[in-house]
Amino acid sequence: MKYYYIVCRSVTYAQKTVKTLETSGISAVMYRTPKAMALEGCSYCVKITEARLTEAIKLLSSKSLQPLRVFARFDDGSFYEETVTAG
Amino acid sequence: MNESKQKKPKYSVYLDSAATSLVRPTEVHSAVRHALKQAASTGRSQHKWASFAQETVFSAREAAAELLGAASPEQIVFTHNATHGLNAAINAIVPRGARVLVSGYEHNSVVRPLYARGCDIMFVRARLYEPELCEFMFGDAVCKAQAVVVNHVSNVFGYRLPVEKISKMCREKNIPLIIDASQSAGSVEVSMEALGADFIAMPGHKGLLGPQGTGVLVVNEKYARDATLATRLKENLLLFGGTGSMSQSREMPDTLPDMFEPGTLNVHGIAGLAAGINYVRSVGTKNILAHELKLLRYTERRLAEIHGVETFSGGFDSDRTGVSSFTLAGHDCEDVAAQLAASGIAVRSGLHCAPVAHETVGTIDTGTVRVSFSPFSRKKDADALISEVRIIAEGK
Repeated sequence: MKYYYIVCRSVTYAQKTVKTLETSGISAVMYRTPKAMALEGCSYCVKITEARLTEAIKLLSSKSLQPLRVFARFDDGSFYEETVTAG
Repeated sequence: MNESKQKKPKYSVYLDSAATSLVRPTEVHSAVRHALKQAASTGRSQHKWASFAQETVFSAREAAAELLGAASPEQIVFTHNATHGLNAAINAIVPRGARVLVSGYEHNSVVRPLYARGCDIMFVRARLYEPELCEFMFGDAVCKAQAVVVNHVSNVFGYRLPVEKISKMCREKNIPLIIDASQSAGSVEVSMEALGADFIAMPGHKGLLGPQGTGVLVVNEKYARDATLATRLKENLLLFGGTGSMSQSREMPDTLPDMFEPGTLNVHGIAGLAAGINYVRSVGTKNILAHELKLLRYTERRLAEIHGVETFSGGFDSDRTGVSSFTLAGHDCEDVAAQLAASGIAVRSGLHCAPVAHETVGTIDTGTVRVSFSPFSRKKDADALISEVRIIAEGK
């Protein structure tokens, strides 16, 4: 199964991201960003399902909550960075 | 004298809430106690105690944003007190040596940082009870300023400055504005949305009813939305250190509130502050102010009946808050406060860290005795004060 990890600029932004997504019915959970994905150093990310990614990015963009990065991650722990656009 | 033989004070009356609110809602005590047991560091880990801390701080930001008219929780920066917030704000947007316009009622938490930065400080010394004159004098001088820093309410005399008008002038002339809401937050509406200042600083332990060691700096939304402006702020920060974010960079992040919050936050204090803020929200600033004004008017009227007492009352309720000063002819203000303290009545005396205000009003040589009310002050507190001041005045 594939999930998306939305890396946020700060814990406050991650919390706002979770709240924004959940208010719109998108299930979201905040985690510390896995070290391998934390390219700028320690940070927080928000995990969502693959099916809600496009909708989530569009919503976050409309709320000025642009992610720092977005990664796709599989159950076996492998991952890659996803290029996403709000459009 | 042997302490055990000292006379028990007649009263237990606290009228020094402009310094610190001693009487707080029980929810504040409970929130601090709970956080002391449950809260670890925020923004650093993902165990349950860190998560509790994060939730506590985020909820506090949301509550503060709601009360203080901030569009977003990231505009709420937690500081140690108002002085910390004012220093951070002044450092961020007032250039060294700048010409800065301030009111004639500023606290040293504004005057000293400006002086330390070599600023050319212009004081608008409008008299009490004359907001229109004050507005006119600001209007006349604002064009000459590179920044304006004003308090919302005088911590000595309790008078409001016309900050809404001053803020409008600053916006029209594009002059940065910092507001010190130390004596207004919690009893007067303080709204970033309405005032449009660059920063509004306040303590958590006065009108917001939180513990000492807490404060709020509200940052204008433009700094959260505009990356260029945020970067400019980042160039003039007061403190540097770990934020739990962007940690591989040697530079501070340009994200709010992180850029202003290096180091471990006072989560225990913030938990209490949130409870205090929620209390204020539930009662409403209008109701709190009405309660304090009722006591203030009564106290000033009764004190003025005592021979030798000079109060600085006047103006309309719309100009006032629950802070008042008085002098007693022939008595040093410190002696009056000491005698009141011996009777169990807590007030503050001296210059109240605001010599500028005393220069403006003409009390720099005498100082004043300051009485300040809270939502929990009672009429019997005022009566006890009046009674004891009368005894001191009559030399009994």
